Amino acid sequence: MKLFAACYTGLHKRRRWLVLLLLLLAVGSVWNLSRLKIEESIVAMLPDGKSRSAKDFELLTKAPFARKLIIHLRAAPGAGVEGLLAATDQLRASLPGELFSNSVSGPKDMGTSALMSELGDYLPLLLDRKELRQIAGQLNPESVDASLAADVTQLLQPQGIALKNKIRRDPLDLQRLALQKLRFLNPFPGVRVDKGHFLSRDGRSSLILADTPVLMTDAAGGRKLLDAFNRARVQLPEGISAELLSGHPYTVANAETIQGDLRVVLLASAVGILVVFVVFLRSLRALPVFLLPLFSMAAALVMASLWFDKLSGITIGFGAVLLGITIDFGLHVYFALQLGDNSRPQLLQAVSRPVLFGGLTTLAAFSVLLRSELPGQRQLAVFSIAGITAALLLALLVLPHFIGKREESTGLGRERNPASLYARRPRLRWLVLLSWVGIAGFCAFAAQGLRINGELRQLGYMPPELQKAEKRLAEVWGGGRNRALIFASAADLDMALQRNEQVWQSLVEHGVQDESVSLAPLLASRQTKRQRVDDWQVFWRERRATTEDLIRAGGEKYGFSPDAFAPFFSGLDNPPKDLGIETLQRWGLGRLLDNLLLKDNNSYQLVSLVPDRPELISRLDSELAAMPGVALVSQTRFGKELSREIGIDFSRFIIFAGLGVVLLLLILFRRLPEVFLALLPVVTGLVVMFGAMTWMGLELNLFNGVASILIIGLGVDYGIFMVCHGQHKEYLASSRAIVVSGLTTLVGFGALVLARHPALHSIGLTVLLGISASVPTAVLVIPAFQKKAG
Amino acid sequence: MLNMRWSSVIFLILLMVFPALCRAETADLKVLLNELKIASAQTRTLSSRFVQEKHLAIFSEKLLSQGRFVFQGPDSLRWELLTPVATGFVLRGSRGERWNSLNRELERFSVKDNPIMGVVAQQLLAWARVDLDWLEQRYHMELITLHPARLRLTPLDPGEAGFIDYLQILFADNRRHVDEVLLMEKGGDSTLLRFTDVQLNIELPEAIFSPPEFR
Repeated sequence: MKLFAACYTGLHKRRRWLVLLLLLLAVGSVWNLSRLKIEESIVAMLPDGKSRSAKDFELLTKAPFARKLIIHLRAAPGAGVEGLLAATDQLRASLPGELFSNSVSGPKDMGTSALMSELGDYLPLLLDRKELRQIAGQLNPESVDASLAADVTQLLQPQGIALKNKIRRDPLDLQRLALQKLRFLNPFPGVRVDKGHFLSRDGRSSLILADTPVLMTDAAGGRKLLDAFNRARVQLPEGISAELLSGHPYTVANAETIQGDLRVVLLASAVGILVVFVVFLRSLRALPVFLLPLFSMAAALVMASLWFDKLSGITIGFGAVLLGITIDFGLHVYFALQLGDNSRPQLLQAVSRPVLFGGLTTLAAFSVLLRSELPGQRQLAVFSIAGITAALLLALLVLPHFIGKREESTGLGRERNPASLYARRPRLRWLVLLSWVGIAGFCAFAAQGLRINGELRQLGYMPPELQKAEKRLAEVWGGGRNRALIFASAADLDMALQRNEQVWQSLVEHGVQDESVSLAPLLASRQTKRQRVDDWQVFWRERRATTEDLIRAGGEKYGFSPDAFAPFFSGLDNPPKDLGIETLQRWGLGRLLDNLLLKDNNSYQLVSLVPDRPELISRLDSELAAMPGVALVSQTRFGKELSREIGIDFSRFIIFAGLGVVLLLLILFRRLPEVFLALLPVVTGLVVMFGAMTWMGLELNLFNGVASILIIGLGVDYGIFMVCHGQHKEYLASSRAIVVSGLTTLVGFGALVLARHPALHSIGLTVLLGISASVPTAVLVIPAFQKKAG
Repeated sequence: MLNMRWSSVIFLILLMVFPALCRAETADLKVLLNELKIASAQTRTLSSRFVQEKHLAIFSEKLLSQGRFVFQGPDSLRWELLTPVATGFVLRGSRGERWNSLNRELERFSVKDNPIMGVVAQQLLAWARVDLDWLEQRYHMELITLHPARLRLTPLDPGEAGFIDYLQILFADNRRHVDEVLLMEKGGDSTLLRFTDVQLNIELPEAIFSPPEFR
């Protein structure tokens, strides 16, 4: 690497230009930051592309109530229903409309809505052949007599006054068959309606549903929403409590946990870095080394913002931490120049080779993230590649001019080099090797049981009180929010309705209709309605005379006048009215319709909710896959699918990163023994990391998956440095540089283990495990196999 | 000309007398309502038989039935038909059961879930308690005769007025309970209830507000 030595000599007298360059980079970065669009959402960490999980995720966001705010009010024992309902109205009125829009605390009073009085008029459109057969079974003297007797009984009672006209129109109570269909519209099995309010069966819980313009992933907006809710909640009377359930409390809790974690982690990191500095560097000359990550990050920000319209906050945060590793390049250059015996150009020439190849292998490892399904990981790849490239250039071209003159070595010196130690004490070499084989072997065995977890919710911080609130909601109102969804889509409504009917038919065949929610029984396609009307007309053409005779005979027995049921028979002659969306809206079912019938610019989607049981989902899945325009999405299956995709992604990362690294190592060393030696730290780091994770009951997730790429990048660097160190005659102080860089990584990343947030914690733990294995392998095991040149 | 003069005189006299008559009627109504209020305040329990006579167009003949009505303050009821079919309901607060001997079914209900039963329960309780405040909010009251006390009530609620023309209530001489209720529907159908064997403030068996057991 004579180039860098030549550059050093050439730029030696032009340091001002370098300062100017750094200033320009800093100013450019600050200017860029001021106009950078940062996306404060986790969307970037969710799959996009065309994968199944990406499609599933898109559909899951359309789930009924997924976008709703649900407020669950509870009355303490002893508090009456009246008080609960009054508190519900009070809370609803005190929620600000700009944050809580379209709030409802219940449907209209079903008993007095047009639905109950009109439903019977739509029987021809609602009843299918099976239900017509049920009616046919009812058309015999005994059943008709029983129906008419029930009518007389009703008419004799006080409520008979209100039921008289209904009985005249429907003496056989055929409307009950249509009424049964309404139960398939109820997403909350535990709900009843009281004075127009949603009320639980035990009368101690009520609900308010609302929309909000605040995005589920907007932490700042979520905080405002929660504050407004809390202000309204404190006004509730004693004995009434309220909980807000939506994605917002999770987003806010996560954002606030991360903020709290960052304070702890940054403090711990700062203290750790200071300790490393005091113990190993003890010189102000080393300060530029610590500025290197800052300038690398500035360059990364400029590049990434030029590449992407919007950058995810997570990418920037995670990327900034990742770029902390670029300090390693600076440390190697610093130690080589400070502790080496030769001239600076010579030392730079010697150290530039491992630094450059170490950087290239790290770049190779991160570049595999460019093919990730997650946009955030792709952003992270660009960010890291830009930052690492900048760090390499800065470390080799700029840093040597700013780290002052060489001073006498202190602390770890050549005398303490492990290779020389092993030469003096051969038993120590065997002890190290046996320990290494033992630990790596044990971890390799344990690593076989490593599980991959794609459950997104587990990556977030789940406050226990929110989990309890979710559980209470499910207990009181049923698991409406946790059911699997089936989407029947088409460009026109009628086709979507036809597909929805096919889905319903399938649910009936599987015997799960009573646990499902669907519009299909109530809102039929044109073709089905036509068929039903034809069947209805044929049915009554064949049975009308018999029915008239039966009713007349039965009616005479109970004293009914001959024309008592004329409205029923004239109703059979009336042309059926159409039953469409407008009718359902008039019946007060508009909100349910909004949740179960979705419309965008290009298509209609009808949503059915089914129990999210794995065995049912797998049975339905294969069956529904054959239906065009039908998609099944299940939370549990989504988690499994995402796990599978993460697994595939991760295997691909490891394979491609491994191939890239091996290729670079072959180019660098051109000898297999050195290549294998250089790979020892990374292989050991990964094996120990996976093994220890399995042993500790941890799982591989989206975040620690990325962290393991980091272990690959860093581990290979350590290997390259140690192997190069052994090959070069010059003393490059690589052991010390590796130990110090390992320690900076441990205090930088490992401090994340103190975080409460599961994602940060898992990153911290992963890095802690991987680096803790990589560094000793590089520093102790590689010298056990290799003698120092010269 | 003479007729016209006499007509004018009569008209003037009527003009002077009518407000006085109205005032007298209003005053009488107030007195009656006051008496009813005082009398009903003493009612703790009420048990009676009744005969129901329904004249409905959909039946060729009038429907006669007999039953039993039991009330215990503040909100327990038993309304039961004994003939021609055993059917009825009991109410305790906002919840109750209704039964029908024909299908031998017992059904639980809540007045909150069942708006029709809610209205029925509210009406029966209002009459049993002679809850005049509630009745005055819902009906325009007219005194027909003071002795016997007979009121005519016209519903104010448009929904109720849609099918009920008016109610005519006859009170017992002692003003302590209702003797007769005539309900006239808009289409001409009517229901007449005559209460007999009325017993006030007697001790009621505990099981009276429980439904019968069907085996």
